[in-house]
Amino acid sequence: MSIVVVLLSLAAGAYALAVIERWAVHGHLSLTGPAWAALALLGRESLLARKSDRLFFELGPVLLLVAGLMAVAVIPLAPGLIITDLATGALFLNAALAYVLVALIMAGWGPNGAYAMIAGWRFLGQFIAYAMLIVMPITAVAMRAESLSTVEIVASQEQLWNVLYQPMGFILFVVAAMGLAWLPPLDLPDATGELAGGVEAEYTGVRLAVLRLARMVIILALAGATVTFYLGGWLGPWLPGWAWSAIKILAVAAAMLSVGRYMPRIREARYLALSWKLGISLALANIFVVGVIALVVPI
Amino acid sequence: MTVQMIFLAFFGGAAVWFGVVVFRTHSMVRSALALLFSQTAIGAMFLVMQAEFLGVLQIMMMATEMSVMAIFMVMFMMDPGGMGKMDMTHQKRLSLWAGGIGLLAALLLVWLPDWGPVALSVPGAHEQAADLGRELLGRSMFIFQSAGLTILTAMIAATMVAIVPNAEQGK
Repeated sequence: MSIVVVLLSLAAGAYALAVIERWAVHGHLSLTGPAWAALALLGRESLLARKSDRLFFELGPVLLLVAGLMAVAVIPLAPGLIITDLATGALFLNAALAYVLVALIMAGWGPNGAYAMIAGWRFLGQFIAYAMLIVMPITAVAMRAESLSTVEIVASQEQLWNVLYQPMGFILFVVAAMGLAWLPPLDLPDATGELAGGVEAEYTGVRLAVLRLARMVIILALAGATVTFYLGGWLGPWLPGWAWSAIKILAVAAAMLSVGRYMPRIREARYLALSWKLGISLALANIFVVGVIALVVPI
Repeated sequence: MTVQMIFLAFFGGAAVWFGVVVFRTHSMVRSALALLFSQTAIGAMFLVMQAEFLGVLQIMMMATEMSVMAIFMVMFMMDPGGMGKMDMTHQKRLSLWAGGIGLLAALLLVWLPDWGPVALSVPGAHEQAADLGRELLGRSMFIFQSAGLTILTAMIAATMVAIVPNAEQGK
């Protein structure tokens, strides 16, 4: 039962996100815009590059979608409304999202095009930058909850949300999540200005539609993860739990989609240097501080 | 129990099949990703055997490791896409012997030692994660810490070797 509810709300969320992204990029709000765009994509010819690695070309977008869906499976929307409450939920989320990298490498390598291939490998470099900054803040969150289960992580924030308990971890996690979802200013794999769309460059028609949908699902999964880990999940006064989840997840996703558009795109080397020299030191400090707080004042 | 056995056999077969694909393809990226999916199947076997933490960890770690390996294979091989149909095998007699001896050793390891009785009840997933944490921070701490330090040293040394000082950096 809950799997149907979660999938339906995921579809609704992805559509809402598409509307918001259109609004952020083109500046006009259109509720039917994404539907027409999707129809147009479905009707368009699906080109296949010559001498492509057909297997990877076809599998890349599908694997991307599967990775996003697997990540969504461990995100609780309300008490009891979760596809599967794994004992290792927070780790499983990472495991699922690690395949975003594999899918993008496949999609980049598959079409046998220079821009796509460079973009795919570039995402591997980007991964080296963001990976640690996803895992280390989650470690501090799990330390407080004394569990990797996402339901228990939300329950542990009854007294105080993690965004106030460990604000440094929150900032690091959100920035890393934007890197994972290749959102501007960290959209190096499909850098429109220099790589002509990068990974997306050679995809058209139905395959491009799957690729775009998969990316929306990944953004939603990451917004869901941010809400679960830092913003108290379904917790909140007056409204029912699912409504709080929906409001928070959409707000975080909208913020992630729009904020970066006002910043210049960062260079790969600089992103790596910042992530490792500054980010990892801060993440380690965060783990230390959370450990001390957890031992001294148990809240 | 039987359903578990069927899934175990399925993922075991998948792991072996992808392992074969690693050597059958000419494309370096396909080869690396076939190895990844072979390892993912082993992670799925852990999950079937109700070792949740180990399974998820295996599935997570291999995705990154094999992707990094893929880019090195692409960088160092002359025909990374396999489109030139270049033969990249060498030392066939030696590798046949090594593979045969490895297979024999694996089979002996399966049959010879007394593996003890089959565990009929498995602790819950929450309990397993907690037990693993106590083990890692207790009895096995020294081993894991020294292994971690060794790997870190090797990583730093490899990076130092890879950075060739040139005139521009010297300024």
